Amino acid sequence: MMLPLPSVYRGIFRTAIRKLKSRNPSLHRLLSDCDGVQTGLADADTIFALSSGHGRCGVAVVRVSGPASATALRRMVGFTHRLPPPRTALLRSITDPCSKEVLDRGLVLWFPAPHSFTGEDSVEFHIHGGPAVTAAVLHALGSVPGTRPAGAGEFTRRAFQAGKLDLTEVEGLGDLIHAETEAQRRQALRQMSGDLGRLYQDWSHRLKRCLAHVEAFIDFSEDELIEDGVLDRVDSWVCGLQAEMEEHLKDERRGERLRSGVQVVIAGATNAGKSSLLNTLCNRPAAIVSPIAGTTRDVVETALDIGGFPVLLSDTAGLRDSSDLVEQEGVRRARERVQQADLTLLVVDSTRLPSDVQQVAGFLSDHLKTVLKQPETDKCLLVLNKTDLLPEAQTEKLKQELRRVSGLPAACPISCQTSEGLKDFLTVLRSSVQTLCGDPLSGAPTLTQSRHRAHLQQCVAALGQYQRYRDFDLALAAEGVRLALTSLGRITGRVGAEEILDIIFREFCIGK
Amino acid sequence: MLTKKLLPAQSFQLLVSRNVGHLSRQRYDVIVVGGGHAGTEAAAAAARVGVDTLLVTQKIHTVGALSCNPSLGGIGKGHLVREVDALDGLCGRAGDWAGIHFSILNRRKGPAVWGPRAQLDRQLYRDFIQSELLSTPRLTVLEGSVEELLLTDPNPDEPGPHRVSGIRLANSGQSISAASVVLTTGTFLSGSLFMGQTTSPGGRIGDAPSSAGLSHTLRERLGLKVGRLRTGTPPRILKDSVDLSLAELHPPDSCPTPFSFMNTQTRCKPEEQLPCYLTRTTPGVEKIVRESLHLNCHIQQDTKGPRYCPSIESKVLRFSGRSHQVWLEPEGLTSDLLYPQGLSMTMPPEVQLRLIREIPPLHRAEIHTPGYGVQYDFVCPTQLSPSLQVKNTQGLFLAGQINGTTGYEEAAAQGLWAGVNAARRSLSMPQVALSRTESYIGVLIDDLISRGVTEPYRMFTSRAEFRTLLRPDNADLRLTLKGFELGCVSPSRYQEAVRVKNSLRDAMAALRAVSLSSTHWRERLPDIGLSENKMSKLTAMEILQHTDTTFEMLASVFPESFSPYMEFAQRLRIEAVYKYLCDISRRDIKRIQKEENMSLPQDVDYFSLSSLSMEVREILDRYRPSTLGAATRLEGMTPAAIQVLFQYVSIAEKQKEIMQRQQQNQSEDKEDLCARNVSLPQ
Repeated sequence: MMLPLPSVYRGIFRTAIRKLKSRNPSLHRLLSDCDGVQTGLADADTIFALSSGHGRCGVAVVRVSGPASATALRRMVGFTHRLPPPRTALLRSITDPCSKEVLDRGLVLWFPAPHSFTGEDSVEFHIHGGPAVTAAVLHALGSVPGTRPAGAGEFTRRAFQAGKLDLTEVEGLGDLIHAETEAQRRQALRQMSGDLGRLYQDWSHRLKRCLAHVEAFIDFSEDELIEDGVLDRVDSWVCGLQAEMEEHLKDERRGERLRSGVQVVIAGATNAGKSSLLNTLCNRPAAIVSPIAGTTRDVVETALDIGGFPVLLSDTAGLRDSSDLVEQEGVRRARERVQQADLTLLVVDSTRLPSDVQQVAGFLSDHLKTVLKQPETDKCLLVLNKTDLLPEAQTEKLKQELRRVSGLPAACPISCQTSEGLKDFLTVLRSSVQTLCGDPLSGAPTLTQSRHRAHLQQCVAALGQYQRYRDFDLALAAEGVRLALTSLGRITGRVGAEEILDIIFREFCIGK
Repeated sequence: MLTKKLLPAQSFQLLVSRNVGHLSRQRYDVIVVGGGHAGTEAAAAAARVGVDTLLVTQKIHTVGALSCNPSLGGIGKGHLVREVDALDGLCGRAGDWAGIHFSILNRRKGPAVWGPRAQLDRQLYRDFIQSELLSTPRLTVLEGSVEELLLTDPNPDEPGPHRVSGIRLANSGQSISAASVVLTTGTFLSGSLFMGQTTSPGGRIGDAPSSAGLSHTLRERLGLKVGRLRTGTPPRILKDSVDLSLAELHPPDSCPTPFSFMNTQTRCKPEEQLPCYLTRTTPGVEKIVRESLHLNCHIQQDTKGPRYCPSIESKVLRFSGRSHQVWLEPEGLTSDLLYPQGLSMTMPPEVQLRLIREIPPLHRAEIHTPGYGVQYDFVCPTQLSPSLQVKNTQGLFLAGQINGTTGYEEAAAQGLWAGVNAARRSLSMPQVALSRTESYIGVLIDDLISRGVTEPYRMFTSRAEFRTLLRPDNADLRLTLKGFELGCVSPSRYQEAVRVKNSLRDAMAALRAVSLSSTHWRERLPDIGLSENKMSKLTAMEILQHTDTTFEMLASVFPESFSPYMEFAQRLRIEAVYKYLCDISRRDIKRIQKEENMSLPQDVDYFSLSSLSMEVREILDRYRPSTLGAATRLEGMTPAAIQVLFQYVSIAEKQKEIMQRQQQNQSEDKEDLCARNVSLPQ
């Protein structure tokens, strides 16, 4: 099925495009885009794609969606008359419809509309994962009339358009596909199952009710009998909503952090062993290590999975005053990173600590202030490196002293050289990262997208407008609630005037 | 100043023919059928645009009659009156002439939702409308009943399979032709009256029913989808029989605010205004309603009545155990009747009497005319275009209750707009639409044509998305200049609007030009409580936005800058306070206008858009929205569906562009060829 555009037009377009391309090369690109649009426009196209990962693997899944799915199934699997029973896996030979050559033997599944992921007729082929097999099956699918390879995200888009997923669920699905760690997977699954959507829906319902009551008061209170205290009730609802939204926003970006990774920055003076720490943590020589101060000049980044949580670890240049222009830039970048970091690992060379352990706390506290503008104890860990170079007795005294003092971030004496203290340090690091991300399964669902954050912030600000104007211009106050609803609607979908009126008439006796 | 003086009643007969034989002609540009609020505005607007107009009404005496409540305006409705007035319509000035109790509702809730309202003297209102019509050039009023519409072959250049060419009158059977016909039949289209268990044909008590032929033409010959609605009116009560000392007195505003932009005062002097009275129903009322339900056939039918102007029966049934408000309103300066607003009822007259006597001030009341219910046909308004022309019939326009609305103001607004477009069509000028971003009239028409109605439609301020912009105070700025371009606004009103517009612009510039440090402002205006921590410079505009500031205060401090604009003091303060939010709204309007400009072809096969859910396809197929904007306002549309339509329209537009480019290229080819031909040696 094509778009209901008279076919004669389509012919004219093609001729026109060919002609224009030959006449004016500068139009070529623009018109090529139009070509693409023309094929993309027929949403009734049948699309297919390799839905499992690329490369060699045991089993590959090829998905087909659209009206020609049944044809593809018939031609490639040889169901001449009846289609197979829906949603049942059958082992069949898969053949090329043109050459009739058997390409593979695998499972086929038939999902008739609307009970499929996209809401359209769909077919899945579970075949052997070799590149040659998948290539041959995809090629064969392309030869079925009315099919074309799917664009990026097209299956999900169709599912969204068919109303199978709402926007937060789509976002959750995207995250689920991209989830790399266990905690990310849990959060994405929770969002995809609609937890976050439900929370926002609930707010939206309550805001609608607020607006309906304000509107009832505006449109009817002078003429009609609107119960006293309508506005007082709205006041308390608005306050409650605002508090809940602010609470949700005050999650310290836990959900977003879990989605995009916790920013952990290793900082400290030159030659404290920052790059060694990075290499130790990621178990490979990611950064160059040398005894020369100022070896690391730029930021070195690596992604890690720490206890199921995603971490983006960056190693930075040692902090010191330098006349070297390149190093100056490196130090500037290091400070910038520290500013943006969720967690800073401040590496200190233990051999440089005062030998009188009584003075260590003061020393570390001063040192902290030179690195962090506002030292927050929960956003920093102290890593006292090179304990292998200290006498054992001194290390013990140091540990005892650190257990005694308070007001400092957690401090872990370790040796990157001998891995001494590494296990304890990792436990501390993991619990810090976990605190930063929160538990994706407990409590209210967390905010996962900065897009949601922006709309919610607008929503809270708009509710502030209600409170500001409530006593002297109710029209402007109502506008605040309306703006709040619109902002939230950017996440959950639009709200029309008629819905508000329905609530008014349901809840008030309006009548002259 | 009031613009019109009443003509003596005698002159009436001279100017109006009651007999077709006396009609000077058999052809008019525009014929308006019906003389209610929609019909009178339509006829007057068409004549103002400059075409020969005929108004056909069953009884000349009832032209401009207030069939139901003796009041005009209110919240949302007052906005419509101001807009009709800004387009030089009649009802605002008629209200100023006939008003006997003026008040601005919602006074404390912000100027965007102020509701100018007045109780009217029925006789004065009718007199004003009639004399206004009589003195309108190019307008003839004819007493008669329309039997049917004359149809002819459609004009191939316009859409629609039918064309109206005039009317045939009932008694004489004579035909009168016209390029456009505006139907404003009110409750008369297949109307039936209900009181107790008796039913009789008709649209208003005391008037003959309209002919069945018109209804037949609309349904059968034009194939229009027609529905049925109901409404009702309360009994009228003899004032002398009411003990008003038992009711709560509600005085009018001490200084009446006129509806019309052209009036600075009302005919009624402030001290001559009459009060209203408020009372409440008692449990006895509810008991009588319940006991008499079996005698009440109107309330037993399930035809949709208005949720917001329900009969006492439906109020009791839907919200039982409560006390409901009853307003006792004067019917006129000299009238001996009271109108009990809130007591619309359809039970037998003797039960009506028992019921009203359950209300303390009415315990000895006598009924002058009992209340009754009306059921009538309406044409589903989704079959109309934004000009209020029927989509499938060239030249046929509908306005008022026939489109499923309720209320004088809603009728007047549609009548005016249908009249303007009917006149333009007869002049072969393109049809015009008002956007919902610029007026309540636009909101009203857009709601009707894009969503249809399931119950009588009434205007509320909450229907307007851009309420902060569409205020009663600025209707002239929004509409008068546009109306002048369309020809429905007189030059004198236009000049006044231009003067106002320029003065406001200059005054706003002056407000921005005066700038002082907050310390200096505090010295000069100690009363406004400017907070101490504001250090930066503040303009007079910003000071005026402050809660406790008035323009008069600023004028007293800077007389040379601001005293020239004292007559606009209130408007300037409103403009200043609303400025910030209006700027935000304007940005939204740009987005909406973009959506409004994306038109959806009328012949889309929505069922072929397989990426839409079946429900959405059915909705789109049923309503066939004309623009993407209209589609977004349909009930049941999802953001995903809008996205699909958006893509669809964008692609269709891109293709149109390519087509145009191709045609352009072809013509260039031809020009090349011509050029070569010319240069060929002969």
